[in-house]
Amino acid sequence: MSAGTVAAPGRVEQPTAPRRGPSLVGGRGGIWFVLPFMAVYAAFVLWPLLYGLGLSFFDTSLVRAESRFVGFDNYVRLFADSEVWRTLGITVLFTIGSTIPLVVIALVMALLVQTGVRGQWFWRFVYFAPFLLPVATVVLIWQWLFSGDYGLINAALTGIGLPEVGWLTDPAVGLWSVVLLTVWWTIGFNFLLYLAALQAIPAQLYEAAEIDGAGGWRRLFGITLPLLNRTTGLVIVLQVLASLKLFDQAYILYRANGGPGGSATPILQYVYDTGFTDYRLGYASAISYVFFVLIILIALVQARLSRRSES
Amino acid sequence: MTTSHRLSRRTLLRATAAAGGAALLSSCAGGSGNAVDLAYWNFFGGSDGKLMVELVNRFRAEAPNVRVTATTLMWGPPYYTKLAMACAGGRAPDLATMHGSRLSTFGRDLLDEWDLDELAARGVSLDEFPQPVLDRVLVDGRLMALPLDTHPLVLYYNTDICEKAGLLAPDGTLAPIHGAEQMLDAGRRAAEVTGAIGIALGSLHEAHIWMPFWSGYRQLGGQMLLPDGGPAEVDRDAMVGAMTFLRDLCDGTICSPSLDGQSSPAAFASQQAGFLFVGPWEVTSARTAEIPFSMTQFPALFGDTPYVRADSHSFVLPTQAQVDPAARSAAYDMAVSMLRNSLAWAAGGGHIPALSAVADSPEYLAEKPVSNYRGAAQVVAFDPEAYFSGSGSTLMARAGQSLQGVTSRALTPEQGADDLIGWLDDQLTLGSPL
Repeated sequence: MSAGTVAAPGRVEQPTAPRRGPSLVGGRGGIWFVLPFMAVYAAFVLWPLLYGLGLSFFDTSLVRAESRFVGFDNYVRLFADSEVWRTLGITVLFTIGSTIPLVVIALVMALLVQTGVRGQWFWRFVYFAPFLLPVATVVLIWQWLFSGDYGLINAALTGIGLPEVGWLTDPAVGLWSVVLLTVWWTIGFNFLLYLAALQAIPAQLYEAAEIDGAGGWRRLFGITLPLLNRTTGLVIVLQVLASLKLFDQAYILYRANGGPGGSATPILQYVYDTGFTDYRLGYASAISYVFFVLIILIALVQARLSRRSES
Repeated sequence: MTTSHRLSRRTLLRATAAAGGAALLSSCAGGSGNAVDLAYWNFFGGSDGKLMVELVNRFRAEAPNVRVTATTLMWGPPYYTKLAMACAGGRAPDLATMHGSRLSTFGRDLLDEWDLDELAARGVSLDEFPQPVLDRVLVDGRLMALPLDTHPLVLYYNTDICEKAGLLAPDGTLAPIHGAEQMLDAGRRAAEVTGAIGIALGSLHEAHIWMPFWSGYRQLGGQMLLPDGGPAEVDRDAMVGAMTFLRDLCDGTICSPSLDGQSSPAAFASQQAGFLFVGPWEVTSARTAEIPFSMTQFPALFGDTPYVRADSHSFVLPTQAQVDPAARSAAYDMAVSMLRNSLAWAAGGGHIPALSAVADSPEYLAEKPVSNYRGAAQVVAFDPEAYFSGSGSTLMARAGQSLQGVTSRALTPEQGADDLIGWLDDQLTLGSPL
C-alpha cells in the first residue's frame, strides 16, 4: 500500500473522484466475470440436481430407452426397503464412530504441536501428509496393513501375545477398519483447522493467566478450549457432513462387495449399486434424494445448535 | 533468391497440409481397403490378462490392416456398468468380452446378434460348441454371444499330501470321490497331513463361496426361477442342503471360515491345504509355486450328475448408434481368430475351450492337468437368469453375505436360506429395469 492512500489521523477522508470506465462491482460488466463459473455450476451442479429429482419420479433404467412416470412410487417403495434402512444405519454408525476420534484426536494433535515442541514444521507435515494421498493409495496401504496372513497389524498383535483380528473378514470389525483408515487419512485437515485457531489466540491471554497463577490445565480449560468453541463447531459440522458421504474408501477396500457380511455398505454404495449395477436409475435417484434431505436437515439442526451455543 | 526461397517454403507447407489431409481422410474412410480401427473391451487382469494380450497380438499379426485398441477395464460390476452405459449411449466398442451369465441383462437390447452366415463364412458353426453353453448364449434362438470357453469350478489337489493321506488311486490320480461325506472325509485326512487345513476355499469371497453353493444346490435338484415381481421360485430344501454342506466344510479343520479370495489359493500354493475349490484360472498360481498338484472335475456331492457352477467368457457385439461395416467385419475376424487360437488360453488359463476344433485337438488333450476336467462342459450349471444375477452381480455379492453368515456360524443353514430367499423376494418386488 502506498503512503498516499492512508488517511491521516483526524482528517476526514474526501470522497474520491469518480473512476472512469465500468465498475467491476456495480456495473453490468461484472456478469461476464462470473459467467464462466455460473455456466459450470449450472451444467454440473444445478442441472444434474434438477434432472436427478425429475428421474426419481420415473422408473428410468440404464438399459432401457423408454421410461414411465410413476409419481411417488419410488419414494413409497424405499421406505419399505430394508436395505435402505440397513445401509443408512451403517452410515450413521460410521459417522458417529469416525467424527468423535476425528475431532478429539485432531485437537490433541494440534495442542501437542502448538505447545512448544521442537521442529514444529516436521510434526505439521507428518500429521497432514496422509491427507494429501489419493484414496486408492490409502486403501492399498491399509489393505496390506489389515491383511490376515502377512499384515503388519496382526503381526504386531501376535508379537505381543494378542489374538489376530479379522480386520477385513470379521463382520463385527469390518466397518471399524474403515473408520481406522479414514481417521488416519483425513485427520490432517481437522488438525490444520485447530492449529490455525490455536495460533490465533493472543499470547497475552496466557501471559496474564500465568501471572494470575493459572497452571497448564487451568489455562487449557479456562482459555484454550472456550476460545476454540467456534472452531470445534465448524470442525464437527464439516466432519459429520464428510462422514455421511462415506463411499470411496469402503467401496475400494472391499472391492465393491460391501465388506464381510455386508457390514460396511454405506447408503451411497446402495445408491450406486441400485443405479449402476442393477441399472435402476429412477429408484436410485429417489433414495439419494431422501438422503440429501436428511443431510440438509442435519446441517440445519447443527447450525441452529451452534448458533444457540454461541449466543 | 529470396522470392524463390519463400515460394518453395510455401509450396512445402501446402504439400504437407495436403498430405496430412489425405492421411486424415483415408483414416476416416476406414473400410476403403486401408486400415480399420477396432475397439475391443475386456476385463482380464493378472495371468488371464497376459494370455488375452497374446491372443490379441496374434490377431494383430494375422490382420495387419486392423488397428486394434484393446482396453482392459476392472473386472466385476464396474465393467458391466461401463459396458451397459456405452451401449445405451450408442458409442460402445466394436467387440467386447462378457460372461454368458450376464446375457439376461444385456442380451435383450444392448447387443447385436451374431450373424450365423458371417460366422459360417469364417468356418464356424453352432454345432462346434457344447450344448449347455450354447443354450445359455442363445436368446430366443438368436446367438447373442460367441463362447470362447467354459470355466467351471474345479477341484485342485496336492498329489503329495493326497498320497500321504491315502487318497490317491493306484495310477497316481485322485481316487474318485462320491458324495459329500467322502469329500468332507478327504478334507479331514488332508488336514491331518498338512497340520493346517484340508481344503482351501475363499469363503469370504462372494464368487468363491457361490461356486460350491450353486453346484451343490443344482446337484440336489434345486432350480431357481426369478420372475419379475416375485416371489422367487426356490427349492428351500436344496438350499438348506447345500448350505449345510458348506457349514460342515468350514469347521476350522477341513476349511477355514475366514479365508478370502487371495488367501485361499495362497494356502494351497504354500501346501497348507491338500485341496482347493476355485475356478481353473488359479492354475497359474499353483504352477508358479512349483508344488506337486493336479486338477480334476468337481465331484458329485449329491445325486449322480456332477453339475458344476460354470460360466463362459464370450464375445459380444455391443449395440452401436452407427455400425461401421468394416469394423463389424473385423470384429468377426478377431473373435473367430481368438476362438481358433484358444489353445494358449486353455493351456495357460485352465479354461475349457468352447470350440470343438480346439477342445478335441490332440494338443489340448495333451495339456495336463487342465484337460482333465473338460467333461465339466457337459454338466455346467449357469447362474439363475435375472437382471441382477451372473458373474460379478448383485446376487453373487448378496448371496455371499448369506453364505458367509452360514460358514461363520452366525446363521444356521435354515436361517441362511431364509435370508437369501427373503432378499430375492425383495429384489424381485422392486421390479425389473429391463
